[in-house]
Amino acid sequence: MTFQELILALERFWAERGCLIVQPYNSEVGAGTFNPHTFLRAIGPEPWNVAYVEPSRRPTDGRYGENPNRLQQFHQYQVILKPSPLDIQELYLESLRALGTDPQRHDIRFIEDDWESPTLGAWGLGWQVWLDGLEISQFTYFQQCGGIDCKPISGELTYGLERIAMYLQDVDDVYELQWAPGIRYGDLYKRAEWEWSTYNFEQADTELQKDLFAEYEKQVALLLGLSEKKGKGGVLLFDREPLERLALPAYDAVIKCSHYFNVLDARGAISVTERQRYIGRVRILARAVAESWYAQREALGFPLLETAVAAQ
Amino acid sequence: MSSEFLLEIGTEELPASFVTHALHSMKTSAIELLDQARLGSDALEVATLGTPRRLALRIRGLADRQPDRDETILGPPWGAAFDVDGSAKKAATGFAKKHGLRIEDLRKQTTDKGDYVSVRLLEPGEATSKVLAEILPRLCQQISFPKSMRWGPGEVAFGRPIHWIVSLFGSEIVEFDFANVQAGRATRGHRFLAPESFNLDEASQYVKALERAHVIVDLEDRKARMMDGLLAAAKSLGGVLEPDAFLADECVSLVEEPFTVPGGFDESFLELPDAVVISVMRDHQRYFAVRASEGGALLPAYLNVVNTAEDPATIAKGNDRVLRARLADGRFFVEEDRKAPLAGRLTKLESVVFQSKLGTMGAKVRRLQANARALASASGANADACEEAARLCKADLETLIVYEFPELQGEMGRWYALREGIDPTIADAIRDHYRPQGADDVVPDQTVGAVVAVADRIDTLVGCFGIGLVPSGSADPFALRRAALGIIRIALEGPIDVDLRALIAQAHGAYAGDAELGSADDVGSALDGFFRGRIRGMLKDPFGGDVVDACLGAWDGTSLRDLRSRIEAVSELRAAPEFEALAVAFKRAFNITKESERGPIDSSLLEAGAEAALAERFTTVRDKIREATGERRYAEALKLVAQELGAPIDRFFDEVFVMVDDPRVRDNRLRLLGEIADTVSDIAHFHQLGTKLQRRDPSVPA
Repeated sequence: MTFQELILALERFWAERGCLIVQPYNSEVGAGTFNPHTFLRAIGPEPWNVAYVEPSRRPTDGRYGENPNRLQQFHQYQVILKPSPLDIQELYLESLRALGTDPQRHDIRFIEDDWESPTLGAWGLGWQVWLDGLEISQFTYFQQCGGIDCKPISGELTYGLERIAMYLQDVDDVYELQWAPGIRYGDLYKRAEWEWSTYNFEQADTELQKDLFAEYEKQVALLLGLSEKKGKGGVLLFDREPLERLALPAYDAVIKCSHYFNVLDARGAISVTERQRYIGRVRILARAVAESWYAQREALGFPLLETAVAAQ
Repeated sequence: MSSEFLLEIGTEELPASFVTHALHSMKTSAIELLDQARLGSDALEVATLGTPRRLALRIRGLADRQPDRDETILGPPWGAAFDVDGSAKKAATGFAKKHGLRIEDLRKQTTDKGDYVSVRLLEPGEATSKVLAEILPRLCQQISFPKSMRWGPGEVAFGRPIHWIVSLFGSEIVEFDFANVQAGRATRGHRFLAPESFNLDEASQYVKALERAHVIVDLEDRKARMMDGLLAAAKSLGGVLEPDAFLADECVSLVEEPFTVPGGFDESFLELPDAVVISVMRDHQRYFAVRASEGGALLPAYLNVVNTAEDPATIAKGNDRVLRARLADGRFFVEEDRKAPLAGRLTKLESVVFQSKLGTMGAKVRRLQANARALASASGANADACEEAARLCKADLETLIVYEFPELQGEMGRWYALREGIDPTIADAIRDHYRPQGADDVVPDQTVGAVVAVADRIDTLVGCFGIGLVPSGSADPFALRRAALGIIRIALEGPIDVDLRALIAQAHGAYAGDAELGSADDVGSALDGFFRGRIRGMLKDPFGGDVVDACLGAWDGTSLRDLRSRIEAVSELRAAPEFEALAVAFKRAFNITKESERGPIDSSLLEAGAEAALAERFTTVRDKIREATGERRYAEALKLVAQELGAPIDRFFDEVFVMVDDPRVRDNRLRLLGEIADTVSDIAHFHQLGTKLQRRDPSVPA
């Protein structure tokens, strides 16, 4: 099964089970969770079932294309089922069958692995899924998102596509994967890995990244009308009514901040104490967006609740 | 025979620690709830069973019916409940309401404390199954987990989502529901080997029926099977299993039926340090290592405990691949690390924060060097070697392999040092200075390692105390208690003594220019108290708290071994038959002279007989006792005290009255006793020792 057939098989599988098939986000994200199709839609009461590929950037994981397993950009296949159905594990195992892997013949285990994104103020409980000792997926029940308690709970399945493909194609080197007949993964990404590693570790202009971080941080506050003052108990205050706020452009700016922070981190330009401060700054922005999004959906009457009833 | 009760809660895969935690709370709550429901008895056998996918409770010995309730309950005093005219006050109506009764049901009961309101509660017993049906939802709610989660609609919190509940009393279903799941008799087998749901006819069939469905519900049984499988597999590989209790507990909690699948890796990876190979296998993959013989070389093989083994070859192939990649990473880190010498990483430590107010690791290392040199000179150790070991001991924190496997700190520093051709004494010290890591760990057995270990710990202690980071309650984020215990144990069990006061002063001085600490006196006295507390905690068990306190009282806070000699000497004496009388006499001498002035003894004022005899004996042996004490030969000093002064002082107290009216005679007597008490108190404070006989001295106010 080629890399693209793997993607197609998952798209088909989840489409047949009622998921919307959407596209990757057009900004730099560290994981499929950052895509607003997950981060924002996991908030609030509206049901939501979606699946998509997410090219994910982790600047610190770059290895100049020399390590057969580590990449600064890799591909996740992200599925969100909200509310999480009781048979979510069975659905997941079925999806493995759809990839030609019979769980009976392998050792499949669900190993505790709680997930937390300190920058997004999000966390959940769940597992990493092992297939014959290889971690192939993350499985998370979201408990909080942007500091807001999730209800209902979203189930998030994240497939590590490169790992699964290496397993299916029986290769030890990610660059040897067949993306499509005749085209290897290395043909597409090996040079990119070297360039991005060189950029992230050596040449990224740290002053520029710091400035960009600060500018986008200001943008979030502006677009949401986020007040510098806080209310009782640290409550965020906004100068704009929910529907006057531009939550989506603001969220884009949060993603930018998170990305520039990651580059600065890879570049070794942040000390340990500064690191915590940066994370705290992004988290508060993410929270402001999450609260604004919730307020907007509420003001709109949570439209997808009705759609769901209509669909039934 | 009464029926067995079974509760099984089927869940998604629970983490290992959750299962033990939950089963424990399930059992405690069950016993509590049954007691409250009058179903508790000594005949009850409450057992828990569990796997990653189920928590089960089995109760044997339950009665079929709850006993009737016939209980008299006392309420408020009669006078507080009823007016003299007999009308009920608030206390009476409240009490009646609480028990669902009317005022007319209240009775007067006379007790030896007066008249009280009472009620007799009569309630016929219910069928046990009915009582259980009421208790069970509460029991399920009370099961606690290290962390709970919500799922689906998000209304219930539990360790993991619940899929089914079995609740059988004998062959009857005890009906209830929890988390939108209706309890019944349908259970499920192994997720992959027996996925279909099936019914249990009887609670007592549980263990066997589940075993047929590839689930070994009893954790101990499952573990025994797993260990058998591992040992046999190691043997068939021609080796022995590397024992690992922690890993065994972890693995048994990840499977419902254990199978062992062996695998292997390329022999060339064995060029890596064993610790790296084992860490990769154990921490990342949860594989057991296999050695050629006990303590022998590692074999290029591993044992994997799995949940299904229909196709071992496929499973082994996949796992081999993962391990190969992991080991290749390990090899890459080691090769990269070896491109630069350990000393070359010291500059990097300059930018690593030790503690925000205490500066960088680079500064800490410089202090360690100074501390190690001073300590080495004091202990007659090789100061150059100690300083060099201190300089290099933290360098491996900046290696890739330690970044990846933090638990290999020290171990990898030693390994790299040996390969660089660094003196093995220094290399060993790099590893050993982290010892002891805990109560079960050994202390460094070589001088250099011991010196650096002490130098490191005292730097942390003085620094943290100096900026007010003092452990409180259970909060001890810098593990200062462990650091202090480490120093004490190194001095008592290891190759060097430690002069605590000098050490603290040295470490305090070493911070000059690095950080603003509290004054040397303040830090010194706070740490003195802290160490004394740790010493007491550590030694009170073998020696007795009073012996340790008596010796701590006489100890000057310098040499730890000096303190130990005192404790050993006193504790030896304490085992001797003459101890009681001796201790009582010296306590008396101490107590009676607590407030009195010291001074020369005027022999012309001594009364012939017991007093003169005591004075004569004491003057003869005084210098010998003091000399032995001064040279820290405490056992000998105490022997002299016991042999030479025991009988005379006993006789003195029997025959002589101290507090006579003549002030000159009395004060002279007190001076004699005072000097004896002081001489003995230099060894240990006898007045702090517990004695069985507590003879009261009539001349001393209680």
